[in-house]
Amino acid sequence: MATAEDRVKADIEREDALQGIGCSRKRKEDPRFVQGKGTYVDDVKLPGTLYADLVRSPFAHARIKGINKEKALALPGVHAVLTAEDLKPLNLHWMPTLAGDVQAVLADEKVHMQYQEVAVVIADDRYIAADAVDLVEVEYEALPVLVDPHKALDPDAPILREDAEDKDNVGQGPRKHPNHIFNWQVGDAEATERAFDEAEVTVKQEMYYPRVHPSPLETCGCVASFDKVNGKLDVYITSQAPHVVRTVVSMLSGVPESKVRIVSPDIGGGFGNKVGIYPGYVTAIVASIVIGRPVKWIEDRMEHLSTTAWARDYWMTGELAADKDGRIKGLKVDVLADHGAFNSHAQPTKWPAGFLSICTGSYDIPVAHVNVDGVYTNKSPGGVAYRCSFRVTEAVYVIERMMDVLAQKLGIDKAEIRRRNFVKPEQFPYETCLGWELDSGDYHTALDKVLAAVDYEGLRKEQAEKRAKGELMGIGLVTFTEVVGAGPSKNCDILGVGMFDSAEIRVHPTGSAIARMGTITQGQGHQTTYAQIIASELGIPSEEIQIEEGDTDTAPYGLGTYGSRSTPVGGAATAVAARKIRDKARKIAAHLMEVSEDDVEWDIDRFKVKGVPGQEKTMKEVAWAAYNNVPEGMEMGLEAVDYYDPPNFTYPFGTYLCVVDIDKYTGVVDIRRFYALDDCGTRINPMIIEGQVHGGLNEGFAVAMGQEMPYDEEGNLLGNTFMDYFIPTFVETPHWETDYTVTPSPHHPLGAKGVAESPHVGSIPCFTAAIVDALAHLDVTHVDMPHNAYRVWQTLHELGADKRD
Amino acid sequence: MQVNLDKTFAIDASSGKAWLFLQDIPGVAGCMPGAEITDTIDDSHYKGKVKAKIGPATMAFNGDIEIKGIDADKRELHLLGQGQDTKGSSSATMDLTATVVDSADGKCELKGVATVSVTGKAASLGGRMMTQVADQILNQFGKNFANNVLAMGEGEAAAEAKEELAEQPAELNGLAFAWSVFIGFLRSLFRGKSANQSQ
Repeated sequence: MATAEDRVKADIEREDALQGIGCSRKRKEDPRFVQGKGTYVDDVKLPGTLYADLVRSPFAHARIKGINKEKALALPGVHAVLTAEDLKPLNLHWMPTLAGDVQAVLADEKVHMQYQEVAVVIADDRYIAADAVDLVEVEYEALPVLVDPHKALDPDAPILREDAEDKDNVGQGPRKHPNHIFNWQVGDAEATERAFDEAEVTVKQEMYYPRVHPSPLETCGCVASFDKVNGKLDVYITSQAPHVVRTVVSMLSGVPESKVRIVSPDIGGGFGNKVGIYPGYVTAIVASIVIGRPVKWIEDRMEHLSTTAWARDYWMTGELAADKDGRIKGLKVDVLADHGAFNSHAQPTKWPAGFLSICTGSYDIPVAHVNVDGVYTNKSPGGVAYRCSFRVTEAVYVIERMMDVLAQKLGIDKAEIRRRNFVKPEQFPYETCLGWELDSGDYHTALDKVLAAVDYEGLRKEQAEKRAKGELMGIGLVTFTEVVGAGPSKNCDILGVGMFDSAEIRVHPTGSAIARMGTITQGQGHQTTYAQIIASELGIPSEEIQIEEGDTDTAPYGLGTYGSRSTPVGGAATAVAARKIRDKARKIAAHLMEVSEDDVEWDIDRFKVKGVPGQEKTMKEVAWAAYNNVPEGMEMGLEAVDYYDPPNFTYPFGTYLCVVDIDKYTGVVDIRRFYALDDCGTRINPMIIEGQVHGGLNEGFAVAMGQEMPYDEEGNLLGNTFMDYFIPTFVETPHWETDYTVTPSPHHPLGAKGVAESPHVGSIPCFTAAIVDALAHLDVTHVDMPHNAYRVWQTLHELGADKRD
Repeated sequence: MQVNLDKTFAIDASSGKAWLFLQDIPGVAGCMPGAEITDTIDDSHYKGKVKAKIGPATMAFNGDIEIKGIDADKRELHLLGQGQDTKGSSSATMDLTATVVDSADGKCELKGVATVSVTGKAASLGGRMMTQVADQILNQFGKNFANNVLAMGEGEAAAEAKEELAEQPAELNGLAFAWSVFIGFLRSLFRGKSANQSQ
């Protein structure tokens, strides 16, 4: 006789065999990657391929007086040299941006930034193309350069965008100067002003969030192949949003969308950099259409860092009003945003500063006001979500920095001031004063767990002792809330397409399945985790579920992967599509067992008749029947597709704590400890979560401690090689400790929230907080990033803290 | 990327001779390692080129030189050079004021004050070396200038100077040049240290 215990054990074994939700299943992507068998864009080799290379401007701002192609065209192996003049008849010398502005595909009479694309050379191979680029003669007349965004709106500032000079709107509302892009305000300005007038305490802090570049391992590129016989255009491209690219390419080229196929093959990292459409892609596509042969364009690293989308570059001023106990009465955030030469900010169309208004953070703030002005400068265009939802990193940075500034002003402990202002668990769902509905959270538990794990009181005691000895030790604490999973189509769209996502699942007669999604993995492990969702929903072992993404000819339309939207939106679509299949399967099972559907219950991988042990049909049996024995009136087959429009965003949160020791003579920062607790709701694959958290922390460390893209006064970009741009390796990266709590999202079918961006968003202010905390007794309230040894030493030197006794 | 330079070269000849040579623009240009005047448009406008080979990379700048002013009383020459490299990826400008000043013993000094600015790839890749490189180029320039002035005279010193000038390579030699930049950099390090110690 099988005991109850045996039955439980058998159930667990059955469940384990599926490798479903909650299982640390090994990544299915890794065997090919670690063996060098991935297929990246540059691995796509089509017969007869030609190669494109771009002539770029050495000037940040100049008029083009002439372009002489003769010498380049005379080089054997060169097929074409195209300039804006050549694209003009096709109306492709300018292209629309995601932010409603236009960007020059090839410079039209003027260059607006260094390395701007001026001409494209098409040649038999990459080397001939590069040689021919050197032979294209361009005559420039240098113009005054605008680098400092603070001077962009001066009456005598050089006017950058002559093409837009007379427009009173460049896609995002009225503007007040030819270099002005938009003004965006959220919140009640009057009520906020009143709160500040009446407050017992106010604090104000300016801070600069430097321009940084995501710099994925693989640069951008594409292979465009136009078949002149059947009029089909195939484009293999490094894109985080292949379906959107298909729509845009069809609109730009006039090729019907049904004849455009976009394939995102394996992608060596995206981090927001591969959302947009770049001039190189357009020129390769045009060249292929004109010449009728495949054209490949692959950037080098310098081109990548110099011209493709960067992130941040926000000059922010935060202000808090509070009472003497540190309870916040109001928040003001004012931002000057440097968008570069074209507004190619990547964002849902109606959000000029992304989701910056999430800047009330994890706190119960009664009133707030946000003001953002975007301006043009002679720098490369961008402003993408670098491993975050749109501008959430900036929002979290400003509020978390301000919490510390307020704590220091009032002499309240930095953990305590957060606890006093947290949104309480019973307040969820919580409507913020700037219009977000935080779905779920338990901030107190997360904070307490971290403080206990690191012995916070002990650390503060140690810090006091070290200060007495003249040593510098800092404790950074951040309790962030992110907003991810864009987004409900009622307020989120890209170029008019709602930001839903999709999944299509087909269960084959023998019980295995294939599923295709509108998202695209770039390291997130979709091929692993989506299969786990389907495994748990349908009782099919995840090993027998094939996941495919990135080919627009086969996958259902989706908006792609960025802003942590895969799990909140694509994962939800996958669960819902699987449930549609299970509903049909239940009807078939009832039919097979000749019982009413109401008498059938689902149990891990099979349907059982309630109260009749042994009366059951496995999903595998049902799948077979779906192709030969279905109830009368039901169509054959077992498949479903779901386009999921999320009812709300999801709001993952966490508590991060960082301990640093600073050498006051050299400015070297030793990150002694970094403890990261994340709550992303239901955890689909704990091992992948751990890996994503590590990756996000590494990139957060890179941004906080070393990355920046500085420009000199002539508009020379001085950070566009790996000599200058900081990419941390094992050598520099500290040890990470991770932890979690689970507070499921109430509106997501699985309760999952998305995780990969939280560690980036949360860690960056944590590093800054630790550095500032080490200097807090010297009346330091803020230090701008990056915190490399030289810059930290400069701060110490100014403070006189590096003096030897 | 901008560098301001202020250098003085001792010349073992009279200021009159040095001033005479300073007004010979093609001659002065020829003192710049790897540079030459290719075309004289009028008294104050010239076309020239500079070629430098550093490692595997050859950079050739074609440009215009404009004499902004010659002040015989002050023995001062003001010129503006603007060039773009032939590959179109970089550009450079130099605003130079050169003055001949009398020194003791009937000899003189050449004082040069220059602002050199570079854009494009040369700035991105060479920015951190620019001060040292410009410094070394000017050192070679000063040496060549002094030799040219000496060579105008007679006797042993003039013969020696001519010989040294004849040995000058036609273009800026990469390896030797890089070595001199490196040595200059090391020297500056030690200079800095001894200066600190003496404080």
